[in-house]
Amino acid sequence: MHLIQRFKLDSIILPFGAILVCCLLWYLIAGKSVITEKIDDFGDKIKVTKRAGLSADLPTPVETWTASKLYITEPFAKRGELDQGILRFTWMSLVLVVQGYFIALVIGTPIGFCLGLSKKFATAFDPIIQVLRPVSPLAWLPLGMILFSGVKIVNGDGRTTFGASDAAALFTIAICAMWPTVMNTAVGVRAVPQDYLNVAKVLKLSRSKTLWKVLVPATLPYMFTGFRLSLGIAWLVIVAVEMLTGRPGVGGFLWQQYNANSYAHIILCILTIGVVGYVLDRLMSVVESRFKTA
Amino acid sequence: MPLIEIKGASKGFGLPGSRTEVLKNINLFVEEGEFVVIVGYSGSGKSTLINLLSGLVKPDTGMALIEGKVITEPGPDRGLVFQNYSLLPWLTVEENIALAVEEVFKDWTPEQRKEHIAKHIAMVKLSHAAHKLPKELSGGMRQRVSVARTLAMNPKVLLMDEPLSALDALTRAQLQDEISDIWMQNKTTVIWITNDPDEAILVADKVIPLLPTSPATLGETMIVDIERPRDRKAINHDPKFKKLRAELISTLLDAKGRNKVKSSVQISLPDILPEDLTYTNSLQFLNRSGPKRRSDNKREEVEVAA
Repeated sequence: MHLIQRFKLDSIILPFGAILVCCLLWYLIAGKSVITEKIDDFGDKIKVTKRAGLSADLPTPVETWTASKLYITEPFAKRGELDQGILRFTWMSLVLVVQGYFIALVIGTPIGFCLGLSKKFATAFDPIIQVLRPVSPLAWLPLGMILFSGVKIVNGDGRTTFGASDAAALFTIAICAMWPTVMNTAVGVRAVPQDYLNVAKVLKLSRSKTLWKVLVPATLPYMFTGFRLSLGIAWLVIVAVEMLTGRPGVGGFLWQQYNANSYAHIILCILTIGVVGYVLDRLMSVVESRFKTA
Repeated sequence: MPLIEIKGASKGFGLPGSRTEVLKNINLFVEEGEFVVIVGYSGSGKSTLINLLSGLVKPDTGMALIEGKVITEPGPDRGLVFQNYSLLPWLTVEENIALAVEEVFKDWTPEQRKEHIAKHIAMVKLSHAAHKLPKELSGGMRQRVSVARTLAMNPKVLLMDEPLSALDALTRAQLQDEISDIWMQNKTTVIWITNDPDEAILVADKVIPLLPTSPATLGETMIVDIERPRDRKAINHDPKFKKLRAELISTLLDAKGRNKVKSSVQISLPDILPEDLTYTNSLQFLNRSGPKRRSDNKREEVEVAA
């Protein structure tokens, strides 16, 4: 068999094999379920599920599929505020992520440039950044709530369109997602080849021209690496934020379904979050490779 | 008054203790319209010498002057052609030149600038490639763009730091002729640095050897009184050319025999490279050999004038 053919076959068969193994393991943990009907104390018929597996409550892959089918086959349906198609929820989360992410880039990129350009600035702010960077989104959210407790934008019908929890959510996403952009931009600015800076000096370019014509283009590849990592973090943060604030979205849906004991939907949400995160990362790396200058 | 003058300049690098003196007691006079070539070994301080004139490097003692004024910083009156072209890779040929022209001729109208740019692109015979990016050009074409960019600033003096040493021999020969032709047309003062004695004699009015003593000093000026335009095929049999070349080479070789110096340079590189973007799927990502770092401080022995 030719090498190329074998490689292609391998790259399809092996991942599928791994998925199959994971599903089998899942089956083992979930175990076979037996549903019996019985009459409860009030005289109503109820279904009782008993499991033979290791976990008492985990649904099997097939059960997960049957329970989630409606959400996947009608991805944009809206049956109620908290009962919507999975892509509709995803869209809500994405809108929030994009807003927070945008704020992160707008704030993070200039900070990165300052860190990269000025040694004094870097020395002064490095300890603060290093301390704030590892703080979890769960810790930032309450602070955001306090900071923006007075925020309330009301539309014509008297309904709040943008409240404290929305502001806190954006704040949390922005402040958590900012750091990779800050760090990568700073590294990128420091790595601008001396040759380009010499050109700027010899041509006597003004400061703003040096920035826009030399520094920014030379730093772009690094910046986009930062942007990509930032987007990944923003998507991580959204789930935590939605859980805590109770906003409708994938994360909010996940938490609500946990409270409603429909465990199959939790798995649906986890898989959705994973796939969306992967797609976002791929999209960003396509954009990133576009901006790779020489 | 000479256009360019260096008086008793010396320059060293490094902190006291591990300091290396590169240039000592440099005296240079260049009159307006002269074509001066400085020949020396690689690593003997040629680039430092030209950077004294460009203003990128300041002398420790002595001074560099242009029209009697001390050079303290780079300026558009001294056009520098870099050895590695230093074109900005995200700008086209036209934009690279425009960058220089816009800075120098701020009061011109856009049409005037455009015409000026087009004229200089045509001068280096690159009109067909005006909208190409540097990466789409060959090495020779890139250096022609660099020359055009520098000439477009209408500098009083053209400083060329080994402009052709990164090119193959045939392209180099062709560009030597082209630059000589351009010089014949506009007679800009040129200070050209090279490590090739043949190139030096072929293009120059005056050749000055940079002797690889430690620190380096300038040798005796040699006048090249061969008629222009010079034919590179015929010149090989010209007795004047042969004599000058023999003299130049023996000057450089003799000075080298007397001196050897070793210096050690601490090189510290910026840490952490960004993630490699070429990985298209996670399988390759898992297989990679770990994050790339530049964290090791490498110590490198550099032998000067070896």
